[in-house]
Amino acid sequence: MSAPIVEARGVTKAFPMPAGPVVAIRDLDLTIAGGEYLAICGPSGCGKSTLLHMLGCVEAPTSGTLRVDGRDVADMADAERSALRLARIGFVFQRFFLLPMLTAWENVELPQAEAGSPRARRRQRTAELLDYVGLGHRSHHRPPQLSGGEAQRVAIARALANRPRLLLADEPTGELDQATGRQIVGLFDRVHADGTTVVVVTHDAAIASRTPRTLFMRDGSIESDATGAAATEGR
Amino acid sequence: MRAWTFAARSLVRQPGRTALGVMGVAAVGALLFDMLLLSRGLVVSLRELLDSAGFDVRVMSTDMPFAGPNVTGVTPAVAAMRRLPEVEDVVPILFGEAAAFGRDGGPVELTLFGAETGRRSPWTMLEGEGLSPFAGAPPLIVNRNLARALELAPGTAIELRGACRDGAGSLPASRFRVSGIAEFPFDEASALTAATTLVDFRRTCGLEGRDEANLLLVASREGHGPAAAVEAIRALRPDLHAFSNEELVARFQQVGFSYFSQISTVLSTVTLVFGFLLITVLLTVSVNQRYAEIATLRALGFARRRIVLDVLCQSALLVGTGGVLSLPLGLALSTWLDAILRAMPDIPARVSFFVFEPRAVAVHMSLLTLTAVLAALYPMRLVARLPIAATLRSESVT
Repeated sequence: MSAPIVEARGVTKAFPMPAGPVVAIRDLDLTIAGGEYLAICGPSGCGKSTLLHMLGCVEAPTSGTLRVDGRDVADMADAERSALRLARIGFVFQRFFLLPMLTAWENVELPQAEAGSPRARRRQRTAELLDYVGLGHRSHHRPPQLSGGEAQRVAIARALANRPRLLLADEPTGELDQATGRQIVGLFDRVHADGTTVVVVTHDAAIASRTPRTLFMRDGSIESDATGAAATEGR
Repeated sequence: MRAWTFAARSLVRQPGRTALGVMGVAAVGALLFDMLLLSRGLVVSLRELLDSAGFDVRVMSTDMPFAGPNVTGVTPAVAAMRRLPEVEDVVPILFGEAAAFGRDGGPVELTLFGAETGRRSPWTMLEGEGLSPFAGAPPLIVNRNLARALELAPGTAIELRGACRDGAGSLPASRFRVSGIAEFPFDEASALTAATTLVDFRRTCGLEGRDEANLLLVASREGHGPAAAVEAIRALRPDLHAFSNEELVARFQQVGFSYFSQISTVLSTVTLVFGFLLITVLLTVSVNQRYAEIATLRALGFARRRIVLDVLCQSALLVGTGGVLSLPLGLALSTWLDAILRAMPDIPARVSFFVFEPRAVAVHMSLLTLTAVLAALYPMRLVARLPIAATLRSESVT
């Protein structure tokens, strides 16, 4: 394993509510090494998605220290966090969230253009990624013309567009049937095998069974952190 | 993908709403454009009319244009002014009413001018001669309407009875011979107008022996200009009031035309407020519907500034497209409105209420640009403050 891409120490995340703050993440310690492949499981409302959003620098912790790619999230301005996400972090969402007015090609090309990648390189990378997810032949279709599985594969290609070190996926198979979900999981396996750190929040046992490391969360804390055989047995 | 392209694609995605927005801006922009044309239309039109008459200074007895008593001592005043090096020509003018007799014997009322023309005359000859004695009878120039109404042509004899002051009904009719047909610059569309010499006007109106004129038209000499001529006349006759065309228009602008300016300001403001509300509502609805997309873009690493710029570009595209369409629409509308206003009585046919000026286009575009920016502020604020994680959570659930 290489140097940690995520280091969380005593991280707490609380949301202010009229009736008082709701603590979503409680005093959490976590280290994710570069190249790891892990699943975060747990019941609804246990703080999985909040943790994922913090790992993706979308939210900052209320207290504690969270370092992503060597940088303290709390010290970064909004623009710096955006730049870090653009260059280093890829997001895959349960409901794909592709831009419906753009083609599959344009959806994948968009983050590269935003990152300032030259046109020729963007073209090459987009073609490469759409082939990678098996959708080279659907590149000029818009999201409404794609099936759920195809849309999620385009979303994965989009997340990989700027060669992120960390790929975060929030219930990526939640909207898919089992067979399609398996294809998506296979794709995550490949992404991980190609060297990207993959963190998947899931209820899907098929995903959790394939990740070498599984965190089980309850009430904002990590209840178990199992690796290797222990992770498999723990399920 | 540039912000403009991205904004355009976002707009095209909702073609119906975008088309309605563009049409709304085009309608509002057309009204705004018309109000801008109206705000200065009369001023520009009157200035053009005054300049086209060939005289650039007007001399009156008071500082209220065309409202005071007559200028007296006209003959020596005209002679003295004609000697001024700054002055090329002076034409004293009297105007009043007269009645001619139609073929059916009934009276036809007309406006009668008396003028002592020199090198220049305040009308444009279309047919025949100017004010030179014609076949031994006093000359009369008529406008086309009068010529048509009484079937007059150069050489035709005509009798006029002056009605220039109280008791004029007892004046005897004077016999004239039409020497020419002319266009009078200040005629309204249906005006019946005639002009004769100052002497014959006085005789017709029973004003013999009164050396008066309503006003003196002065042409400044080339190389001196109207300002120098005005200065020289003021020095010569401090009791009279000389105005250059520019000063005259400025006075009208302060007094008579300020209503149009005020109305156009109020209506321009109202149309701009409508435009602002329209675009704000459209963009706000659009942003509300695109929360998931916006949060996704932010999660993917798009900077807040970039997303805000997208909203601004959408606003600019809506307002820009509508604004461009509003120009021909506004011009067509102004032609229609101008025709309605010019049909009012006592409005010179050559005066327009709506006059196109490049300046109006520049102001129109500037105001619409400002509206686009202001209208985008609230939706931009919504986008800038959108909580990424909370939005993604709620959009995933819904």
